[in-house]
Amino acid sequence: MTAVEDVVTRRGRRDTAGPKYLSLARTTLQQAIAYRITTFFNVGLTFIWVIILYYLWRAAYAGRVSIAGLTWDQMRTYVVIAYGINALVGWRTGSAMMATIRTGDIVFEMVRPLNYCTTQIARALGFTAVEGAISLAFTLGIGLLFLDIRPPASLPAALLFGLALIIGFLTKVLIVFLVSLLTFWTLNGMGLMWSQQAIMQILSGTIVPLALMPGWLQVIAQVLPLRGIVSTPLQLYLGTTTGWSVVGLLTLQVGWLIALWVLANLAWRRAFRIVEIQGG
Amino acid sequence: MPPIVSAKRLVKRFRRPKKAPGLAGAVRHLLRPRHETVTAVDGVDLSIEEGESVAYVGPNGAGKSTTIKLLTGILVPSAGTVDVCGVRPHIDRQANARNISVVFGQRTQLWWDIPVIESFRLLGDIYAVPAADYRQTMDELVDVLDLGPLLGVPARQLSLGQRMRCDLGAALIHAPRVLFLDEPTIGLDVAVKARLREFVGRMRTRRGLTVLLTSHDLGDIEELCPRMIMLDQGRIVYDGAFDEVTRRFGWEQKVVVTLADDTADAAARAGAALARVGPRIETTGTGLEVTFDSRTVTSGEVIKELALAVPVVDLTLEETSAETIVRRLYEGNLTFQQPVRQSFQPVGDPEPDR
Repeated sequence: MTAVEDVVTRRGRRDTAGPKYLSLARTTLQQAIAYRITTFFNVGLTFIWVIILYYLWRAAYAGRVSIAGLTWDQMRTYVVIAYGINALVGWRTGSAMMATIRTGDIVFEMVRPLNYCTTQIARALGFTAVEGAISLAFTLGIGLLFLDIRPPASLPAALLFGLALIIGFLTKVLIVFLVSLLTFWTLNGMGLMWSQQAIMQILSGTIVPLALMPGWLQVIAQVLPLRGIVSTPLQLYLGTTTGWSVVGLLTLQVGWLIALWVLANLAWRRAFRIVEIQGG
Repeated sequence: MPPIVSAKRLVKRFRRPKKAPGLAGAVRHLLRPRHETVTAVDGVDLSIEEGESVAYVGPNGAGKSTTIKLLTGILVPSAGTVDVCGVRPHIDRQANARNISVVFGQRTQLWWDIPVIESFRLLGDIYAVPAADYRQTMDELVDVLDLGPLLGVPARQLSLGQRMRCDLGAALIHAPRVLFLDEPTIGLDVAVKARLREFVGRMRTRRGLTVLLTSHDLGDIEELCPRMIMLDQGRIVYDGAFDEVTRRFGWEQKVVVTLADDTADAAARAGAALARVGPRIETTGTGLEVTFDSRTVTSGEVIKELALAVPVVDLTLEETSAETIVRRLYEGNLTFQQPVRQSFQPVGDPEPDR
């Protein structure tokens, strides 16, 4: 047995799925830190919307106690945290996925022993560690200092919020991934990214709570997975949903997550079959 | 022992959208898309033994890169079979990935903004290389490729030559059995080229690495690959010893001359001076290109005659590239006497592994 074969056999025993994806996340984190100034401004700019929405809602609440079941205290909190959550998986995650497809660098991801969907989640985690930290700083800074946001409704509410937030994160990564796979066919990512961003912000409840949408749109938004990204965690945070409805919300979230995982893997395989690697 | 890389009647077809030019064409395509089928690889048979080093050459668009993508599992064959280290690449892509490695001269697998060592570490993790092996391989790579000063530098700050050294090292971290090199020396200067070739050669002998190289650079092939496979329009036109080809067709040399501007009849004068050699003379914007047969006359003589006949400002000597040979082979300007695609016997290889 040659030395090379020896290495191969020994390696087979040591091979587990965990460390390589963690290592991948760590490296992406390092890469993201290299761009921390850009990231800081990207995230910061989205918070301009928070200020605008704050003043709009303040005007709307003049002389009213609640709108669509939310008090002014809750609405303020909703607006700020919704943008905080939205910034968790930022522009970078999607554009990085699309860039690897467009430039053809995806060949390297294909000649490595990695599950492609898990790879994307690991990379998103790395970006999120940076974008999320900055977004958290903005949320708390603006929220606590200027807009007087409220803490979670209760301890269980806080825990459920955390859980829903994680599921929502994975949901968003998979959706962004599925959209970026369309680049295999269109090869132009920018338009896709913009429409995806817009649709996601509306249907996830980032701009307006779902309860305030017109009836038909509400029905659509309530069955789609997008609500699980922003709306569901916030409903739990504010404690506006209780009892069995909580179970219902989380079940829907998890159900969609599984469906999206299967779909993402299938779509990847399909894209893989017809792919023509760009640039040679 | 079965060959480490083998392909039988390998075919890859692509479907390309067929668009008429202009806006009208684009609209028509949108309404009724029409496609044409392009056959990039057309019935290729390959058989490469472990430890062999093979050059895979052909003009641009011949299907070289497509073949490499089929062998690495990036593309799914339209027909035929592929087998690399006993694994069918497109079926078991991840298992195949552990056995092989790919280096593209025009791409880097290093993470752009972080120090090179971090890319190495990550690759070690991805391939789950045991710590002791990782250290040993790293020591060896740092030593042979002189990576020491580069490890702390982000990939984007490296020169092309430095980057290629790092990319080669990165490709070998997981001790692959087969290394695919896709134009690894493109754009590199002579010194760096020589160093890379030396390194690849050394890795071959030390580790028993099997190398499949695509290149337009005859030097790469000459130094690294006793065996050459030539491809044109998706078909193999030659599979055999490299020496054989250059001995037959590599005799053509070209002198590119830059002239002082006041020479209208330069071509005629050069032609007259070299009449006994019978060169092919082409006039370019800045001077002449003189192509001659290096078996009948030395380049020194040609240069001497030219310098006497016309006002030479500058002068370079070019050897025939593999691409030109393949092109001329295919065009029928040059042909092999023996039937093409004779099976190559590595056992009887007149030039055993160095």
